[in-house]
Amino acid sequence: MPVDFDPYALLGISTDASEEEVRDAYRRAARRLHPDTNRNNPGAAVQFTDITAAYNVLVNARERRAYDEEAQQRSPDTLTFSLRVTPSKRNLFPLSETQVVYMLVEITPDPRAETVQEQIRAQTHLNLTLVLDKSNSMNAGRIERVQIAAHKIIDQLDVHDILSVVAFNDHAELVIPATTVSDKPALKAKISMLKAFGGTEMYNGLALGIEQNKKFLAPRLTNNVILVTDGNTYGDQERCLELARAVEKEGISISTMGLGSEWNDQFLDELAALTGGASTYIKSPRTVVQFMNDHVRGLANGFAERLMLSIAPDMGVKLESAFKLMPNPQPLSVEEGYIPLGSLQIDRMTTVLLQFELPADMAEGYRSIARIVVVGDIMTNEQRKYQALSDISLGITRATSNEETPPAIMDALGRLTLYKMQERAQEAIDQGNVAEATNRLEKLATRLFQLGEGELAEEVRQNAIHVQKTKALSDEARKDIKYQTRTLVSGMKRNSELESNS
Amino acid sequence: MKECKFCGHSNREGFFFCEDCGQPIAKDMPTSVLTTQHIDDSLEHYEWRTSYGTAEFKADSSILLRIVGISTPIVLKPADQVVLGRLDVDNRITPDIDLVPYGAVEKGVSRIHAVIVRAEDGLMLVDKGSANGTHLNGQRLVAQQPHILRDGDEIRLGRLVARIYFST
Repeated sequence: MPVDFDPYALLGISTDASEEEVRDAYRRAARRLHPDTNRNNPGAAVQFTDITAAYNVLVNARERRAYDEEAQQRSPDTLTFSLRVTPSKRNLFPLSETQVVYMLVEITPDPRAETVQEQIRAQTHLNLTLVLDKSNSMNAGRIERVQIAAHKIIDQLDVHDILSVVAFNDHAELVIPATTVSDKPALKAKISMLKAFGGTEMYNGLALGIEQNKKFLAPRLTNNVILVTDGNTYGDQERCLELARAVEKEGISISTMGLGSEWNDQFLDELAALTGGASTYIKSPRTVVQFMNDHVRGLANGFAERLMLSIAPDMGVKLESAFKLMPNPQPLSVEEGYIPLGSLQIDRMTTVLLQFELPADMAEGYRSIARIVVVGDIMTNEQRKYQALSDISLGITRATSNEETPPAIMDALGRLTLYKMQERAQEAIDQGNVAEATNRLEKLATRLFQLGEGELAEEVRQNAIHVQKTKALSDEARKDIKYQTRTLVSGMKRNSELESNS
Repeated sequence: MKECKFCGHSNREGFFFCEDCGQPIAKDMPTSVLTTQHIDDSLEHYEWRTSYGTAEFKADSSILLRIVGISTPIVLKPADQVVLGRLDVDNRITPDIDLVPYGAVEKGVSRIHAVIVRAEDGLMLVDKGSANGTHLNGQRLVAQQPHILRDGDEIRLGRLVARIYFST
């Protein structure tokens, strides 16, 4: 059976390891990843399959020789990405209660990639589908902005890129069937014809868009669907999410952009997170053009595509949550054990913060916590699939240490806490607990003031007063607070700043 | 669990920021589950020393507590009494001088270890029944019995050694 990955790296052994060492390494890894000890953990199951494949190659002398020869012939300028995992503490005190530990996952593109940046860009081609809301509510100056944005995107694309455009209200309309971008004026003209009317039914639009995207779907392309909407879709959200789960497996990512304040943020966040896409809140239609263009520029800057983070926690360890810090900060779903992260850009890291819960009463000594694996397609490599892995162990000791928590983790946690405080406040509102909600918003405002975010702090404070009086928070305020605290997580520019720039 | 100093919310161990108010949680040792560690009490490595400093402590004087291995002294103006020990948030034990930052846990300092009491013209040191004992110039004090403190005295709480100076 051919392997996609370096079997030596997978088993953590050197290329001159003896057969005995191969067997040992496999036994060690298999004990931890075996499906019998990792029920309901698809992450571990996938990793188990991989190490078994690696073992089968290396334990068979003939296959091992064949692999070694093939590896020697492989071009030396094969690029890689690196995975670095930093725990919040390397040594933990054994406690009679559970405790939390954080891991900062940093995925960095090959430093050599910068020098061949132009070449990579020239080789990166997009298979882009725009799925645009043209319901009645898009009339208030929104559809025009989206049209301008689409025109600018067409300007960015070239003859090697594929574009398709779908517009939807109660029905889905195929505006531009999937095609190479050659006759730009004709494509733009078709977009200019769009008129906004009718209701919002997302599923049909999304399904038609995906159907178009699949026409040119290829591993050598960056396959992305951008969904732009300003409204709620009713009754078909679950079907949309099912669709997203299915296309993720085929290598398509969906990015979502919500305009104004009427759309369902939880739904669009989830839709994007399921496929490794980004979800964005666009407060004012004036900034649509910039957001959409930045997004497409980011896509064209891809070094590796279909990045997938898979985490197999050890017995007794629980992965509680994951949050992407960069680029496009957003909460990630940890239910599946593997997390799609979309593309890795040439010039910036992808970073994720993981939160684990460790069991009570851990024995002293070294304890392995989890195996973390990142798989992705490096577009310029002959053999595209690449895998990096890291086994995490921590010391459990009663000895005190003056270990400093890495500043990067402290910094990220400090800002992530703001986002979580906002979530807790929203929860209290949803439960109708006005006193609690007001209290939590006030605490958030206080903290924001302390951190020098005066403007946002004042907005949160005003809303705390508003909640106290009216027992509710407006849709706009809700999204504003949510997405502004979320953007704070990465230190990116916020809506308000973009607006003053445009 | 660790109680937030700012809002009293109970956070799980390992949190760096209070999930309720967002304030940083002190990075000191977890307090709830720590009992005072019992340590070997042999004095074989101990340098024996007799002190002849003044016992006179004027009304406007202050105490300089120099902990061995720590460059900055703790300066205190004693009120009626000063409790030396280690902070335990969960059980609401707050000594006047919290020695956790100086390694109180691993050095076997009890939560309420000893008290410096202000007497008429001087200061008295009283061991409060600590697990690992209080030593004054090498001699172990009987619990609850006051001893006169002199300028330059060496006190030992568990294995934490400090020297006391009077300053005016």
